Amino acid sequence: MGSSDKLLEFISGRGFRKGWTAFNIIFFLSFIILPTVFILSSAVTDWSDIQEHVLSDPATMDLIISAVVVSFEIAAIVTVIDFVAGLPVAWMMARKEFRGKQFLDTLIDMPLAVPTAALGFSAAIFWAATPNPPPFSLSAISSPMLLIVLLHVVFSYPYMVRSLTAILGGIDETYETAGRTLGASRLTAVRTITLPLFRAGLVTGAILCFARSLSETGGTIIALATLYGRKMVEGDFQTGPTLIGLWKDASVADPTLVPALTFVSILLIILALVLLVVLKVAIMKVRVPLRKVWPSPEKLLSRGLFPKIKDTSAILFLLIVVIVPSFFIFTYVLTGTPSDADWNPFIDALVTSFVVASVVTAIDLATGIPMALYIAKNRTSKLSQLLDVFVNIPLIVPTAALGFSLGRFWNTVDPAAMPPIVLIILSHVAFTYPLVVRNVVGAVEGIDPAYEETARTLGAKPLQSFRRVLLPMIKGSILAGAIMAFTRSLGETGATLAVVANANTAPVFIVNLVNDQSYYLAAMACIILIIISYVFMLLLRRFTREEVV
Amino acid sequence: MKRFSDVTAADGLDLTVNDREYLCLLGPTGAGKTTALRVIAGLTVPDEGKVLFDGREVTHLEPEKRNAVLLSQTYSLFPTMTVAENIMFGPDIRKVPEKDKEQMLFSLLDLVRLTSRADSYPRELSGGMQQRCALARAIATSPDVLLLDEPLRALDARLRIDLRRDLKSLARTLGLTVVHVTHDQDEALVMADRIAIIRAGRIVQVGTPAEVFDEPVSPFVANFVGQSNFFTGTVVHSGPEGSVVEDEAGNRVKARPTDVAVGEKAVLAVKVGHTHLLKLDAAALKGKIERMLFEGRVVHVDVDVAGAGRFSAKIPSSYRGRYQVGDDVGIGWNRNKAKVFPYPEGGLENELKVD
Repeated sequence: MGSSDKLLEFISGRGFRKGWTAFNIIFFLSFIILPTVFILSSAVTDWSDIQEHVLSDPATMDLIISAVVVSFEIAAIVTVIDFVAGLPVAWMMARKEFRGKQFLDTLIDMPLAVPTAALGFSAAIFWAATPNPPPFSLSAISSPMLLIVLLHVVFSYPYMVRSLTAILGGIDETYETAGRTLGASRLTAVRTITLPLFRAGLVTGAILCFARSLSETGGTIIALATLYGRKMVEGDFQTGPTLIGLWKDASVADPTLVPALTFVSILLIILALVLLVVLKVAIMKVRVPLRKVWPSPEKLLSRGLFPKIKDTSAILFLLIVVIVPSFFIFTYVLTGTPSDADWNPFIDALVTSFVVASVVTAIDLATGIPMALYIAKNRTSKLSQLLDVFVNIPLIVPTAALGFSLGRFWNTVDPAAMPPIVLIILSHVAFTYPLVVRNVVGAVEGIDPAYEETARTLGAKPLQSFRRVLLPMIKGSILAGAIMAFTRSLGETGATLAVVANANTAPVFIVNLVNDQSYYLAAMACIILIIISYVFMLLLRRFTREEVV
Repeated sequence: MKRFSDVTAADGLDLTVNDREYLCLLGPTGAGKTTALRVIAGLTVPDEGKVLFDGREVTHLEPEKRNAVLLSQTYSLFPTMTVAENIMFGPDIRKVPEKDKEQMLFSLLDLVRLTSRADSYPRELSGGMQQRCALARAIATSPDVLLLDEPLRALDARLRIDLRRDLKSLARTLGLTVVHVTHDQDEALVMADRIAIIRAGRIVQVGTPAEVFDEPVSPFVANFVGQSNFFTGTVVHSGPEGSVVEDEAGNRVKARPTDVAVGEKAVLAVKVGHTHLLKLDAAALKGKIERMLFEGRVVHVDVDVAGAGRFSAKIPSSYRGRYQVGDDVGIGWNRNKAKVFPYPEGGLENELKVD
């Protein structure tokens, strides 16, 4: 027996397998979950500081309360808009065959290719009433709230449409057909039969949109800085994450801000977790009294002009509110005045971002795949069910709060041991890890365990049966998860700023450029980032299509 | 024994499989057949009890070390591999030299008549081809025991019947030891050297197809392997030439000699195929024809006997003009074909239940 065989034998042993699973679970709990929610413990340990600097300071309290309220208001409004505007498009994608469907499909995913920092800048120069508006821009909006809502709609819209399309595609159309043969008009059938069936998809879509909006930092800071034409200050319009970014930056000079930072992070984490539960219960449990039917008005609305108006306005919304603002930045560069600049700092930042994103993706894959396999293959065990819920936590928690919590955690453990880049990597692992796990769990659950069992009885060791049988079947989903993790890490601002105030990644670099009003450079940097992300996006689409079913 | 939380899936499952034997594990859905197979394969670890291969205990041995190959209901052909790659999966893992592999692949493809499809993917094959490919893959590892989980279930009725013969002759030619799980009694009767009847996780009878058909050990086996008619009553006579059972309505019927004592409550079972329609005056049981179902070669006749329930019989199709629904007819059988059992403790209906 060769040494490689001995190694294989050792790895395949029950003892090693148990140890490996335990290692991955411990990694997940101690490097991801614990740091994410660590800040909650400060509510106990640092209570006196919070009492002194925050609770007894009405001005600070006002700032915090209004920022958190604004965050939740925006997230709620955005989710509702996404649902109303996204449902007709999801419907078309799931149920209809038409020319250009493929094109529409690509169009919906486009905003995902644009890092939110770039998106924030692009959308802001399109909508916002700035002193020197670029040509073709609307330049109409001066309300920061409205601007941020419009911005958040852009990047959360694809999540809603994707979730709704997936679940609509899974609902058997025959229920609806049965309803219609029994005399119901199309609208009545859809409203009373199909819509109640897709609550699950609605929950997923709503949670994704809500969490994404609640979390967004970089794009929001950039949009607001563009609107104001200067770096943001404390008295400006603030959301929870921008407040964290602002205070974290200031806390380097003024440590008395730390209790306030702690308090706002705790508030955001708790409210996000509560909201996750409430949203789930509300959509699944609340019975909307929709049984009643109005045959004639519904019949009228089901025919003729009305459905056409509905479809056309949904598509127009997609184009004007989602697509054009995403890519408006390209016209800005074509018509703007070039300025000479030193590109080296940006290239440095870009390299840092790439190193971070690559390392993060590698860690996600190495520990996320075993975790996903454990969750998917032990559905009946309580531990697996618990881990399944825990994995979603970093998805829901606003990344700025997550970053701050994580920074505090490692500082408490050992202030000297963690260089800034490691902290950034760890914080990015925390919120991208669920993307890999979710994708792989979904893929493994769709595959009959009999394949691997058969391979085992044919003489394959667990590692061999994974590599030769399961892996080729879930390759597409693993790649999809990896690319999602990579692009999310590449575009992340909030967590980076919250964990290390003076970080040097590409999105942070763009934020600084906008703060300094170097708009042309910022735009160029955005475009480079967009092109890189777009290449990854194309790869993602190719790999997910190729997956063998 | 394997317990799933509170449900015991296979309990008191004592079974010995002989070398080169084709054994069918026959039982209703949910009886624990698949669990038994998984325990043998090592995919499920039993809570109690042992699995022995050639006297060597393997209960806790990993599946890949047992050389017991499982063929699942859906065949589980690896969708990312071609027919040839699927078949050579086992030898590949075992690092069989390239030259031997080629030889082996060639003869296996020939054996299952897939030579022309070697480079196809499983999804491009018909159901029958997939089944043969999975079989070749299983044989390629020269297993000590081949475990077939309802191997013919996913096929059309006609193909299923053709493949019974193929599968059996293949197993015989190669001298394989096979455990074949099925819920189809016809399949088991045709294919098996021995049949093990399993019910609610217990083996109730093991024997050759003729034994379990002719000498069932309980009313359940009598009914599950070839449907039976039942007559409930009290044993009123028992001797070396045979026994007599009488019901409350005073109907008296004859059966084989029995161990059930005179005066005991008993149930008499006779296969539907051994039940005949007779002239009224020659018969011990009389009833009215309730229903006639044309089944092609034969006609299935249900007769309602007052006080004794329904009796079924099969008559040749050519006789069907002689009877009509509503006719009074007699029912009878050769006394040697009727067997008497003690009345089951939980009642007859409970005994015959298949779930």
